[in-house]
Amino acid sequence: MIATGRLRWWICAAVCAGAVAWLLGAGLTANIQYFRTASEAVAARADDGSHTLRLAGAVVPGSEQDTATGVDFAVTDGHATVEVHHVGSAPELFAAGAPVVCEGHWQRDLFLSDRILIKHGSDYRPPEVRQ
Amino acid sequence: MKPELGHLALAVGFAAAATGAALAALGAARRDLRAARVGRLFVALVVVAAVGAVAVMEWALLGHDFSLAYVAQNGSRATPTLFTVASLWAALQGSILLWALILAVHLGVAAHRWRGLTGDPAIGWATAVGLAVAAFFFALMLGPADPFRAVQGAVPADGAGPNPLLQNHPMMAFHPPMLYLGYVGFTVPFALAMGALISGRVDEQWLRLTRQTTLLAWGLLTVGIVLGAWWSYEVLGWGGYWAWDPVENAALIPWFTATAFLHSVRIQERRGRLRVWNLSLLLATYCLTIVGTFLTRSGVVASVHAFSRSAVGPVLLGFLAVLAVSALALLAWRGDRLRTPGRIDSPLSREAAFLVNNLVMTALATVVVTGTVFPLLAEALWNRQLAVGAPYFDRLAAPLGLTLLLLMAVAPLLPYRAMEPRQLRERLLGPAVAAAGTAAAVTAAGVRGVERVVALGLAAAVAWSVVSSVAPQVRARARAHGERRLVALGRLVAGNRRRYGGFVVHLGVAIIAVALAASYGAGTHRELVLAQGRSATVQGYTVTYLGTEARSTPQKLTLSAQLRVTHDGQPVGVLTPSLAVFPGATEAVGSPSVRAGLRQDLYLTLVSSPDETGQVTVGVFVNPLVSWLWLGGLVMALGTAWAAWPARRRVRRPGVPARDAPVLDTPAAGETVSVGSGS
Repeated sequence: MIATGRLRWWICAAVCAGAVAWLLGAGLTANIQYFRTASEAVAARADDGSHTLRLAGAVVPGSEQDTATGVDFAVTDGHATVEVHHVGSAPELFAAGAPVVCEGHWQRDLFLSDRILIKHGSDYRPPEVRQ
Repeated sequence: MKPELGHLALAVGFAAAATGAALAALGAARRDLRAARVGRLFVALVVVAAVGAVAVMEWALLGHDFSLAYVAQNGSRATPTLFTVASLWAALQGSILLWALILAVHLGVAAHRWRGLTGDPAIGWATAVGLAVAAFFFALMLGPADPFRAVQGAVPADGAGPNPLLQNHPMMAFHPPMLYLGYVGFTVPFALAMGALISGRVDEQWLRLTRQTTLLAWGLLTVGIVLGAWWSYEVLGWGGYWAWDPVENAALIPWFTATAFLHSVRIQERRGRLRVWNLSLLLATYCLTIVGTFLTRSGVVASVHAFSRSAVGPVLLGFLAVLAVSALALLAWRGDRLRTPGRIDSPLSREAAFLVNNLVMTALATVVVTGTVFPLLAEALWNRQLAVGAPYFDRLAAPLGLTLLLLMAVAPLLPYRAMEPRQLRERLLGPAVAAAGTAAAVTAAGVRGVERVVALGLAAAVAWSVVSSVAPQVRARARAHGERRLVALGRLVAGNRRRYGGFVVHLGVAIIAVALAASYGAGTHRELVLAQGRSATVQGYTVTYLGTEARSTPQKLTLSAQLRVTHDGQPVGVLTPSLAVFPGATEAVGSPSVRAGLRQDLYLTLVSSPDETGQVTVGVFVNPLVSWLWLGGLVMALGTAWAAWPARRRVRRPGVPARDAPVLDTPAAGETVSVGSGS
């Protein structure tokens, strides 16, 4: 009796743990956003498809162009340059040469961004600048 | 002189904590009452040392003594006094100092309350563990996180001031200490759990002390989390209150495990079961607070709250490893001795509901820990930089949260041990009708989204189940004692604080659930580009741009836009969202202007200052029911305070009745008589 109780308990625990692990795995794979520098992003464009990612680089001076819905600009990491079409307002700090992280996805060779991340605190740098 | 004084206080604190820990341990191990008593006295010295160190730091901050590196980096002559005082927790070293102070106060209060229990080995070991933890934090400040380091080279004439975000809203003076009070407060139940494991003893007294200290820390943490959400809403200007930021998560994770403990401890009290599991929850809660501290204090995660990279990270990680290994070793060593035989009688019982609650709470903690730590693992293991998006947390937390609401609606109606399914069906009819009716009504009113509708329905069921658990008892008491119903309700609630305090907390959670269902990721957001004198309308709100006003103080330069607002033709007032530039900071900090209401908030931000043509960009958010969040938080705090307030003195002088003694002539009085009778 005790043995079957124990066994039942273990089966129950294993099923619960398995379910949680499966949910975690599925949730993580669907919602991971890679940080990619402009050149990494270009290299991985085919793999990423329409998956959300975070594109890091500096705003190319002179590339900013206000549009009806947001702003178009280009970001570069010194090796590759990506054209970005951003929908929504740009943050106050957004300026030529500013380091930015854009959250969005590829549409052919245009990067559609719906969020420009500017971290608070003047000592923050996007990942690739830190190296 | 101040660096020397500060270091002296820290050294005294460390020495007192280490000596006290050793004596308390000796006293508990050898049953040496004198050693235990002397060890306990060292707690007072630790408190004095911590207060002294903080006093020296505040003296330096308020006196603008820039010879201290910390003051030079976080203070400035232009900063208003409130924020100068609050600069104590504006950066890493000072925040550890605040941590040490709060820990010392918690230990002091605990030692005072345990003064009659010096002979109890579990209490003796708990004192030793608490003091050992304090010694670690003092050592941390004598080593890598030294708040009293002297500035290198010439003493600057003025300092940089705290981070602009930390001196932009008075809430900054309240939200971090409140969070720390709760967070650090879990040290005491942790110490009690370690004491129980080392001494191998768990008795009624221990259980009561552990439950009370956990409830206190839990309540303070709850208030801290709600205040944090409020700060995020009122200060950051993004229109929301919760972003699954790593630091928000760090506060939430131990909250889940502590909530689980507060429920499952009832099974231990009533049925003597789940002892080892409850001890594990306490140990896990404390380890998770250290994980959270590691995340926020080591600079490993990029976050609103993160301090810069420092040597504290590895030390904290080492401390965590010691905690986790010793906790697991003790559990393995003592587990069998403390384990109790027996199992849950029936799936239709209060015990079973508490068990499911524990499973869901643990699952929530697991989900949030995984999502928060995964980017760190990915970087450490595969050298990949990635982020886990908010949808991960939303998608996994929502069904678990709804399950908890369902449990809150059902569990109060379940008795301990077992019940007939037929009886259960009768009892569940009311809540089920309330849920279905509410769901239908809100759907008709235009609420869309399965999760939102279900959450609103379940919140109604929770409220119904609370009312239907209380109402029959009020009626019965009113009949039996010939009292008015309101009087009967008051006496019932006063007579069993834990039961009714718990119900009030559940009502608060239901209110928060309503707020989340209505506002999380919902609401309207528009951006308006307005020339002076022009207006635009969003959701019935007409916003007219009157002009901007610049104001300069030594602290900051503020540019505020004046926006006249009418709602469906009725004047609302002039709102003034602003942007502020602080000297020494490159970026502008926005301050939203919020007109809060019970039904909805109007939330305006100034996105950009006037351009060449004089147009400003204004962000307009219309957020439904956000005020209910703060209201729900308040209700939870009141319920917790009601349940946690010491009902009677343990040691009472004969002949002197306690002021707030429970009414003893009622069937509902006393904790053991009626708690959870469910009828």
